[in-house]
Amino acid sequence: KSEQAEPLDLDRWKVVMRSQAKYQEQKVDDGLEGSNDGSLDENGDDCKNSSSLEATRELVSMWRQAGKLVPQEMTEDELRTLSELTTKSSRKKYLKYLAIREGYKLSRKEKQAQKRAEKEATMKENRDGAEEGSDQENNQIPNSLFLKFWGHSFDRVFAWRSAQAMLFGQPLVFDFSYESNMSRREIENTVSQLLEVEGWNRRAIDPFHLHFCNLQPDGPYHQELIKRYSAEVWDRLLVTNTERHYVELFPKEQLVYLTADSPNVLHSFDHSKIYIIGALVDRSIQPGLSLANAKRLKLATARLPLDEFLHWEIGAKNLTLDQMIRIMLSIKMTGKWEEALTFVPERKHDGLHQQQTKPLRTNT
Amino acid sequence: FGIKLIFMAKKVYAIYLMEPPDRPLPPDEWRKLKESFGKPQRFDVQMMTSMFISESELDVAKSLLTFVAMETGTLSYELLLRYLTLCVSGGHDEEVFDVYDIMRESFHSLDTGATTLFIKSFSRTDRWKEAMNLLDEIKKVFTPSPRNYGDVISAAMLHGDTNTAWALYDELLEKGLSPHPETWCVLFTRAEHHQRLLGILLYMRNNQIYPNKMMANAIKTWFESLSSQKWTGSWTSPRSKGLCGCCGAELESIQLTAEEYQELKEKVIADVIQGRDVFKKTTPEELEHFKEFVRRKPPFDVVVDGLNVANVNRDKSKLSHTLLAVVSELKHQGLTILVLGRKHMLRPSMSWDRKNMSLIQQKAHCFFTDNISEDDPFLLYATLHSGYHCRFVSRDLMRDHKACLPDGATRRLFFKWQRGHQLVLDGFVAAGKRVQFQSIPSYDTIVQTTSDSWHIPYDDTEDRSTYEVPQRWLCLTRKP
Repeated sequence: KSEQAEPLDLDRWKVVMRSQAKYQEQKVDDGLEGSNDGSLDENGDDCKNSSSLEATRELVSMWRQAGKLVPQEMTEDELRTLSELTTKSSRKKYLKYLAIREGYKLSRKEKQAQKRAEKEATMKENRDGAEEGSDQENNQIPNSLFLKFWGHSFDRVFAWRSAQAMLFGQPLVFDFSYESNMSRREIENTVSQLLEVEGWNRRAIDPFHLHFCNLQPDGPYHQELIKRYSAEVWDRLLVTNTERHYVELFPKEQLVYLTADSPNVLHSFDHSKIYIIGALVDRSIQPGLSLANAKRLKLATARLPLDEFLHWEIGAKNLTLDQMIRIMLSIKMTGKWEEALTFVPERKHDGLHQQQTKPLRTNT
Repeated sequence: FGIKLIFMAKKVYAIYLMEPPDRPLPPDEWRKLKESFGKPQRFDVQMMTSMFISESELDVAKSLLTFVAMETGTLSYELLLRYLTLCVSGGHDEEVFDVYDIMRESFHSLDTGATTLFIKSFSRTDRWKEAMNLLDEIKKVFTPSPRNYGDVISAAMLHGDTNTAWALYDELLEKGLSPHPETWCVLFTRAEHHQRLLGILLYMRNNQIYPNKMMANAIKTWFESLSSQKWTGSWTSPRSKGLCGCCGAELESIQLTAEEYQELKEKVIADVIQGRDVFKKTTPEELEHFKEFVRRKPPFDVVVDGLNVANVNRDKSKLSHTLLAVVSELKHQGLTILVLGRKHMLRPSMSWDRKNMSLIQQKAHCFFTDNISEDDPFLLYATLHSGYHCRFVSRDLMRDHKACLPDGATRRLFFKWQRGHQLVLDGFVAAGKRVQFQSIPSYDTIVQTTSDSWHIPYDDTEDRSTYEVPQRWLCLTRKP
């Protein structure tokens, strides 16, 4: 065969790469004054600090070229956070987190751009159609009983209900005493969940009167809440937030601390009790944290009847705060656990137990 | 098991990745091959990966590079990195030099993966000094891995630069890294620096590290090569009385010194029981109540973890029965017993027979904690408080309590104390059969020395658990 007769030049790629490198070198030599001066000026003010940041940036860019999961763009702040991390695995985790977040952001932007283009296209079509003269159809106002029900009309209804709840509603306490037990990321997650909590509660037919207790002014929780809500909205929020402790606000015998570590099962929802939920996201496993709090104050504790109603499969029994509020709202309205526990994520269990089966007990 | 996993991973990859050709292909054929796969996006990188997995010839990979370079006019960093991996794992160090020059010329800097590969490859050749420069480069942004250090250390050793090797070894320890056994092996293959090599053995003693078989061999060979002192080494295992099976010398006792014991006691009480929040495991009232209880009673000889012992048998109806059998056996030996349990055990039920429970309370001192308190910390407290002679009965490996301790040294101390004081039931407790306990070793399994002997436990197998210690020893003795 001809292929075998003609020897392959296997090192050809080396020639290509070398000549390319030489070409680039020449280019750099030519443009030396212009480009280098510019970059020197930029780094002039704090050379030492930025040189280590530059080295980190360089490393991240090489990792990207090596096909690792790292973000394309990094801000100065992110670089500083990265270089402050001490272990290799923590840096990798942080870079992965940034890369995934960047991925979401990019795909969202792409979708938005696509939507905008579509909208413009249909608008243009409509305009063209209008010019053609079928203006009768387009300008006709439909005969309707109501004005358009805008979002702010909803807001007003919800606000009215929340205001009523603040006067006459059943209190539900979120305990903000876990600042020292959480990392920054965990506090951010907690506040995200709290935003959802407030949202679900606001839209409920019969909302709770939410109490954010032990909320230290200018503490990490508070700062993050204001950052997410904006100071203006935060001040208008129909929620009682206080730095006081819940035991100062309510009679002790009425309080029930909800914690997955509790030995007592919450069999039925009591409308005269005040339930407490810990505003805590616990990624670094610290079992018994909220139970210890309740024990210290000698409060009654309870856990949701998860094992009693659900065929539990995987995952921890502690649920997110938004799942908790939806369960609490539902049980408050209906009194049926079967209905309330639909808000437990489906991946964690395999459906409800058959009626009349004996509740499963986990062994010690 | 590990090998099996790798094998399975290879298989899985083989399904997703394409089969590489078995000979170098000219660009035309590569193009055809790429088209036959439907022109996947990262064809080059995927193909190179599958070449690495199926350990292809270097020439096949080169022909792929040539194809890509002709097609696109350049090669990506990722592709070159994969090629480099192939070269290094195949031992083509000459080729690595070329790749090094090309990557240096074409890219601003190298990532840690490429640097590690270059260090590994350069260390095997005469250009090993460049590996040192690369190591310095890594240090600017990262702590190099023990493997990085190990590669350069062995290079320095191989080329006779022992001073550099030891300096790097010191640096490695200074950064808090633990050296790889391979690194130690290399250091032992050179017979110089007598004191420093003995230093390694002491490092292993202090950090409770056991050499593997390969390293034990290197240690033995080194000792026997010392011509001025006539050392003889032999493989052995200790006799049950704590004597070396080979030379008959007495091995170090597993007893803790008075200071060590005091230190352990304080740390366990402070970190395991009290911790950051005493409410997590118990309540202050309960802890005080328990302390008072212990103070009132005479020192115990043995503390029994009631629930743990009772649960030895699967049969839930015989829980109290099992506990009673164990307590009776200990009582028979004339010991003062403390049984720890939870309050729910006192409520008569199918598992907890009232008659058995009152018999247990007659034979032993009992303390029942709240149902939501942890009983293990109380067990540790009672045992440590009763004094050095006191032992405890439990199957629990106490790993979570060990993890509460602040540093490695205290954890090792705890582990040693645990080995010397934990009684574990041997087999099941059956009716009419005497309760048996596993024997507690009287000697400590640790690297140890006297003026004319070394005793070094080593791992003969790969699958020792962290709660076990090696059973095989290397006995080295010197003839006077």
